Amino acid sequence: MDKRKALVVDDEFHIVQVVSIKLKNNGYEVMTAENGGMAYDLACQNAPDIIITDYQMPVMSGLELIEKLRQNSDTTHIPVIMLTARGFSIEEDQKEKLHIAACLSKPFSPREVLQTIEDVLAQSATV
Amino acid sequence: MKKEYINWGLVIGVGLIATVFSITAVLASMSGTITVLSMAVVLLSFAAVGFMLAGYVRQLQAMAHSISVGSQIRLTSEYPADSILNEVWIAAEQFLDGSNQKMKTLQNENQGVTWQLQLLSQQKNSVETVLNSIHDAVIVTDNRDRIILANASAENIFGFKFDRDVFQPAQKMIPSEELVAMISKSRTSRTAQVRHELTMEESGNPVSYDTVLSCVEDGRGGVLQIVTVLHDITREKEVARMKNDFVSHVSHELKTPLASINAYAEMLVDGEAEDIETIQQFCGVIQSQAQRLSRLIEDILNISRIESGLIKVSRETHSLALVIRDAVEMITSYAQEKNITIQSPAPILYDQVNIDRDMISQVVINLLSNAVKYTPAEGRITVDSVLNEAEGQITVTITDTGVGIPAEDVDHVFDKFYRVQANNKYAKGTGLGLNLVKQIVETVHGGSVFVTSTPGQGSTFGFVLPLSKETAAQSVS
Repeated sequence: MDKRKALVVDDEFHIVQVVSIKLKNNGYEVMTAENGGMAYDLACQNAPDIIITDYQMPVMSGLELIEKLRQNSDTTHIPVIMLTARGFSIEEDQKEKLHIAACLSKPFSPREVLQTIEDVLAQSATV
Repeated sequence: MKKEYINWGLVIGVGLIATVFSITAVLASMSGTITVLSMAVVLLSFAAVGFMLAGYVRQLQAMAHSISVGSQIRLTSEYPADSILNEVWIAAEQFLDGSNQKMKTLQNENQGVTWQLQLLSQQKNSVETVLNSIHDAVIVTDNRDRIILANASAENIFGFKFDRDVFQPAQKMIPSEELVAMISKSRTSRTAQVRHELTMEESGNPVSYDTVLSCVEDGRGGVLQIVTVLHDITREKEVARMKNDFVSHVSHELKTPLASINAYAEMLVDGEAEDIETIQQFCGVIQSQAQRLSRLIEDILNISRIESGLIKVSRETHSLALVIRDAVEMITSYAQEKNITIQSPAPILYDQVNIDRDMISQVVINLLSNAVKYTPAEGRITVDSVLNEAEGQITVTITDTGVGIPAEDVDHVFDKFYRVQANNKYAKGTGLGLNLVKQIVETVHGGSVFVTSTPGQGSTFGFVLPLSKETAAQSVS
């Protein structure tokens, strides 16, 4: 069975690193990007099974990335988990509109991130 | 019997007898002497009656005059107790006493009313002064929605002139249809007090008012007046928004290093670090992120203390060149890691400034460390200071050969939490360092900060400080 591919996007190097190690240690193939623009290009080229992205990033924010992914027929189906450090959570209607699979607030637990990814992928497989 | 009655009886009796005698003498053709004598007696009797009557008339005139002028006169003292008019005098005196008493009561009441009117007038003036002194707009409308009172703030906000003699309809004077409708609804609904937020446009800007409408009842179940008070909450809302943004920014900035600390600690606990090298790397991340968190908290607290005026400032006269020299020494090792050279200024003779040394040192270190962060390896940083004797100030500049700042970001680099997104990849920061520089220079020391930049070529950050008075005098002489 092929390894599941995850794309981790954050402008904080340490966050990208820790999530990547957690996923690699649990059998994932991991790609990384430091902003939404880079992530979109990688998603188009490599079709990851799931994207874990930060909310606030330079060049292109997490929300802008998701909006762009949803407009492309090749990437519109990719489930996205949002990591956010903002004081206020994303509105429910926005989550629904952009099909954001889950939102995790910083500071987060790598265990929680892994569990959420597993849950989201399991749910995607049944749909 | 009173003597005066006897007198009257004698005079009238003599007169009547003399009259009868005279008539008899004429009819009996008595001698001319008798007739003349009897007629003389008659005339004397009439004269006596006339004299006595004239006395009464004078007394009645005096009494009438007393009544007419309302003065208090004791009539009985002027006439003997056995006077025929004594009873009349007593009655008149009683009448006058009563009148005097009533007049005194009326005068007292009149005085009371005058005082009350004066008091009311003073209270009215006082209320009007209070109303015109407050910043809130106050409008009072009657049961026909006519403006019966408006203060100066209301006149300013709505651009009308209140006329106390002509009560104008609110609809005509208040340009906000929404407010007019509120007043009307408040009157018809008879709700004791209602509160609304009203937003109007003033000089092209939205202005928000906390509007309270209170119903004044007439005591018969009707509405006498509606008192409308508008309190400008635009600034409060702006402060709340800024506070909200600040909390959001702080939350974001604090959570980011905390997220790393938490995640790496958990990875260590879960045994995700397989070798000693990885374990050391994870520990290093935790340590550096903890330091970042600490710096961030320190910066936030310092800015907050400066903004609220609570920071303790120890100002003394120092040589700015020495402060710069020490700061350069502190940052040199960091610059050497990137092989960046720092050129320091030549010492200035008169550069004494009255400063908090630690704070200005922090300013120079922040600017130098920013220059190192955003200058590629092998770059150059030049520190310079220029004395302006005429202005009594000294200007310090720190110029780098770094990445520069895009034009659209230049005006915002000193803002709290502002990060130049295009330069994020070169270095991490809290977005507070330059704001702290600005606060220390401008708020604490009364100076100014500035920046110029060319993307791809470098930036010049600088600050201006006033010279200490001694130095200014020395340099001028």
